[in-house]
Amino acid sequence: MRTYFRNVYRGLITILIGMRQTWRHLFTPSVTLQYPHEKWDLPVGTRQQLFVNIDDCIGCYKCARICPVDCIYIDTVKAKPDEDLGKASTGNPIRQHLVRFDIDMFKCCYCNFCTTVCPTDCIYMTDKYETSVYDRSNGIYHFSKYAPDYAAKLIAEEKAAEEAKAAARAAAKEKAMAAKKAKVAE
Amino acid sequence: MFNNIFKKQRYYFDSEGLLVVDMAPSSAVHYQEAVKAATQDAGFAGEDMVINFGPQHPSTHGVLRLEVVLEGELVKKVTPHLGYLHRNFEKHAEHIPYNEIVPYTDRLDYLAAMNMNWGYVLAVEKLLGLTELPERVEYIRVICAEFNRIASHLMAIGTFGLDAGAITPFLWAFRDREKILDLFEWLSGARMLYNYIWVGGVARDLPDGWVEKAREFLDYFEPMMVEFNKLLTHNHIFIERTAHVGILPADVAINYAATGPVLRGSGVKWDLRRDEPYSIYDRFEFDIPVGEGMYGPVGSAFDRYWVRIREIEESVKILRQALDQIPEGDVFEAIPRKIRPPAGKEAYFRSEAPRGEIGFYIRSNGSDIPDRVKCRSSCFVNISLIDEISRGQLVADLIINIGSIDIVLGEVDR
Repeated sequence: MRTYFRNVYRGLITILIGMRQTWRHLFTPSVTLQYPHEKWDLPVGTRQQLFVNIDDCIGCYKCARICPVDCIYIDTVKAKPDEDLGKASTGNPIRQHLVRFDIDMFKCCYCNFCTTVCPTDCIYMTDKYETSVYDRSNGIYHFSKYAPDYAAKLIAEEKAAEEAKAAARAAAKEKAMAAKKAKVAE
Repeated sequence: MFNNIFKKQRYYFDSEGLLVVDMAPSSAVHYQEAVKAATQDAGFAGEDMVINFGPQHPSTHGVLRLEVVLEGELVKKVTPHLGYLHRNFEKHAEHIPYNEIVPYTDRLDYLAAMNMNWGYVLAVEKLLGLTELPERVEYIRVICAEFNRIASHLMAIGTFGLDAGAITPFLWAFRDREKILDLFEWLSGARMLYNYIWVGGVARDLPDGWVEKAREFLDYFEPMMVEFNKLLTHNHIFIERTAHVGILPADVAINYAATGPVLRGSGVKWDLRRDEPYSIYDRFEFDIPVGEGMYGPVGSAFDRYWVRIREIEESVKILRQALDQIPEGDVFEAIPRKIRPPAGKEAYFRSEAPRGEIGFYIRSNGSDIPDRVKCRSSCFVNISLIDEISRGQLVADLIINIGSIDIVLGEVDR
């Protein structure tokens, strides 16, 4: 019987101690924010949505190569010798048409590797984090400034040039083989 | 009402034949004994019931499924079924270069990502023979790891209180953890998956004023822990609820290769930071807390909880020393440009994460992609104890037992 009342007393006291703490905290300032209306300030260098300043990109593929989840897709077309595409703001010459620079933000793991290897610092992480979309295809961000038909034309031109080159090489090879054969026949 | 309380018999059957147990007077132990006695007397034995506990259950701390064989309200057998969060870490690591695996290690124990980064990086550095690192890098790593240990333990004790039915301590623990995450966000840019500790260095240097802010946090945090202890740790109801359940003897813990607070809660003084000091842990003064059995047998759920509380205090001690001693220096100078260990070389390194030993075995094939990466996970080992410590106890205690082991399914399933 003694144990019973001791336990009741203990249970009561322990609740009162807890309630005193809780009561005291009623009068401390709140630590939460009403989110959509108020927002926390994010620190410098926070890692959220990726962005590419495409004017500075030189198409070196370093970001696409280091990406652990392969979410950066780049296609380039080599500039013709007489074409001048200018320079990036860091002074690196641009020698390629960037016909495609897509980032799949659904696959991105926000590891920050791509921004550390970029030689011109043109890919970086912004502080935007409210990027939910209704469709999966809207999560793929297109950064290339080439219009699709112009990009297709460039790709077709390069393909044609390459094919012509290959044909010329094949013809040269055939000629050499024929010459060799003729020599052997002699 | 008083009749039943003062009677020796603690259970009776009401008019409809249903079992009623008087829970009132003292501890969970009495309740347990009463239910056991009632189960035997009433001849419930022989009617086993199998229930699936999880994988979508808030008390399993993730997607864990337990197959529980029940005899009345007593647990006869618990079988954990894993694999609901399997992400193929080890096989995936065989296809990507050494430095790109670091973000994947974040996702092992996502509540202590710094410690996971560090465990993997230490193994790669051992493989490369990279032992001389700048002093500043070592100090930054220790500071990050200890801060993350505090954050992880706050989560553990908060959810443990939640399992026992206390909601306020959980919110308080989250409030303090939030401040540590803010520090990490300022440091690395991310809140949970940092990718901060790299092979041979760290991703960024400490920002200006970070050390002062960290000290400020510690000054704020220590009184908060005192309040937390008043609210939960020394709460009589909480102690009665946890101090007699989930008893794990030291020899069983060693036989199952348990590590971390689960092992130390059973009274075994084993901590890699003291027994096999890696990095610069031999320079700091700190104690290894063990379970003392203050309110019940040694190795109970309360002891494991108590070890975590004490470890937070020890981490604060280490942090204060490290923040005072941190030297100036370049943190990037030792980062190797190419990570290409000689072919056939292998290394195993284990380090002390908040939940126990995390070990990485790496074998090289001469290229920049590892031949094999094996991860020894502490949670995976500790969860195998769940059958041992819950057998013969009540279903309600099973929840307490899972909470006291403190698993993270990301690390169990890998």
